[in-house]
Amino acid sequence: MKNFKLIFMLAVAVGLAGCQSKVEYGDATEVETVNENFGSSDLQAITAKMVDSMLTFPPIVAMTLNDRPIMFVDKIKNKTSEHIDTESVTDSISNKLLRSGKFRFIDMTKVDAVRKQLDYQNNAGMVDPSTAISFGRQIGAQYMLYGNLSSIVKQSGSTKDVYYKMTMRLMDLETGLIEWSDEKEIRKVKSKSFLGL
Amino acid sequence: MKRTMKSIMKKTVKHWLLIPLLSLSLSGCAFNSIFINYPSQIAPVKAQLNTNTPMKGVEDVASNISGADGLLYAQEAGRVAQISGDFEASKNYYQQAVAAYLEFDDKATLSVTDLGATASSLFINDNVIPYRGPGYERVMLHQYQALNYLFSGDGEGALVEVRRSNQLQSSEQARYQKSQKSVQAMANGTIDAEMNKLGKAAGTVTSSFLNAYSYYTTGLLHEILGEPNDAFIDYRKAAQITPDNPYLQQDLVRLATQLSMPQQEEFERRWGKPKIQKKGEGQVIVLLERGFVPEKKSITIPFTIHGNWQTASLATYTSNSGAVSKGKISGLGKTLTAAPIANIDALAITALKEDLPAALVRQAARVYAKSEMARSVESSSKKRHNETDFAAIAMQIFNVVTEQADRRSWLTLPKQAQIARTYLKNGRYSLKLDNSPSQEIEVKSGRTTLVWVIDTGNHTRFYSIII
Repeated sequence: MKNFKLIFMLAVAVGLAGCQSKVEYGDATEVETVNENFGSSDLQAITAKMVDSMLTFPPIVAMTLNDRPIMFVDKIKNKTSEHIDTESVTDSISNKLLRSGKFRFIDMTKVDAVRKQLDYQNNAGMVDPSTAISFGRQIGAQYMLYGNLSSIVKQSGSTKDVYYKMTMRLMDLETGLIEWSDEKEIRKVKSKSFLGL
Repeated sequence: MKRTMKSIMKKTVKHWLLIPLLSLSLSGCAFNSIFINYPSQIAPVKAQLNTNTPMKGVEDVASNISGADGLLYAQEAGRVAQISGDFEASKNYYQQAVAAYLEFDDKATLSVTDLGATASSLFINDNVIPYRGPGYERVMLHQYQALNYLFSGDGEGALVEVRRSNQLQSSEQARYQKSQKSVQAMANGTIDAEMNKLGKAAGTVTSSFLNAYSYYTTGLLHEILGEPNDAFIDYRKAAQITPDNPYLQQDLVRLATQLSMPQQEEFERRWGKPKIQKKGEGQVIVLLERGFVPEKKSITIPFTIHGNWQTASLATYTSNSGAVSKGKISGLGKTLTAAPIANIDALAITALKEDLPAALVRQAARVYAKSEMARSVESSSKKRHNETDFAAIAMQIFNVVTEQADRRSWLTLPKQAQIARTYLKNGRYSLKLDNSPSQEIEVKSGRTTLVWVIDTGNHTRFYSIII
């Protein structure tokens, strides 16, 4: 009978402990390995590699020596088997490039909002015409940054292998030449634990 | 002496009761289909789909998603929302089902919760084991999710789901590759009708374990979203499973010509020259889903062990409930007759067949465990006097009542899928399936209009998108 009580108490204790949850702050740059899916560490690794590679590529160094070329980011095509927010990847990359002080950017995602605002300034009759910004004065981009993110996933038994490849290119819009290109490979292997919950 | 005997007996009784209780608590709130059989839970939802208020039952189904069988309820809820045309809601439900599958994938080889569920299945029934769908259901989940993304205007998202189903399709294919010659042929990319004829007689046709509809849908999405090469691969696999579909044959000839594939000559010899889209014409593709996949029935066999009544219940499918008629689509010039691409019921039957050996082992173990439970109660009480043995009777009732067959399966899937394709001049057309009310669709030259027709028996729904 004593044993029974003990087992019962244990079961209750285990059951109650299972219901607890907690929240903690973590380091945003910490290596994250919750699962094998595309995660923050991958994003950071890709961004770091791409920005580094671009800023140290000799022709780009020469190009940005006396000038801050203007570029725009076309979207990165997601060719993986995961729903990945590729806009977040391009945001990180353009952010770092901009912070380097060597490039200037045009944000193509905000074109509609800008058009609306200019339309308001010029046509609503609410804004002093001398202060209204007129249409057709923006500067055109010289370069386009674009890329592909693809993956190969293989699974057999308890092992899962995920390989990501991010390719990025910088195109001169006037000549159509690719001025820079690089790729970042990431491989993750996951093996299932033998014992667990 | 007698006294110690009694206390020992008492102890064993307590322990016997303790084990099912503990294992039940380990398997969590898995009570949904343990006592109420699954088909009767879903029946009202299915009936609702044949009315003008299809989403009415979805809340009830969705409330079970947090439970142990959440995967199954998420699939059902997603499908109900999808049939009703609420693609955003459907996407959400399916996402939960996908997450549940991934969680299963991540589980350890020897998982405590799984062991707990299996242990409690020995005392209760197989319904306490959390539902984990057969391979074809998982592939269909991603296939339907891809259509959700497409119909909400996200082509890139649709292709992600297509790639996911391609991955699962290839792992399904690998599972059968060893045992089935026809699947080996599929990997080689050959299409031999002879193999299929042989298989038909034996009842082991490729189409009973691989889903041509999934291959066709993924191929179709690849094609209309600008990846004709990938489409060709999937169409070829679909044609290996369902070789006699004229629309699929046309697709293959057309793509082989378009991509100048080495098979072009062979395909033309077999199926004739491709019909090429003329100037000013648009393409219309019809996906037609008819009926509902059959429900599992249960067979219960009563018997006695050591004078105690017990039953054994197993799930089964009763013999086929009649063929599905080919859909006649009118309103697009001459009447178009859709051709079947896959029978989902055949896939369901094969999935059950595969599951049966394991279910029988569990059944045998359960019969033993339950008879031991009954005996342990009975012997201790009978020892005292020759009174009515309430405990033993109660245990027997418990044993009989809890013995329920595992009748869970994704029930809102269609029974059969059919396809049709044609070229039409620019303009508006009013489409009709058999005697259904008509639905207007638009055809734009150089573009593709995908029409998804879901016929749930008494109600036909049309969804179309121009790509």
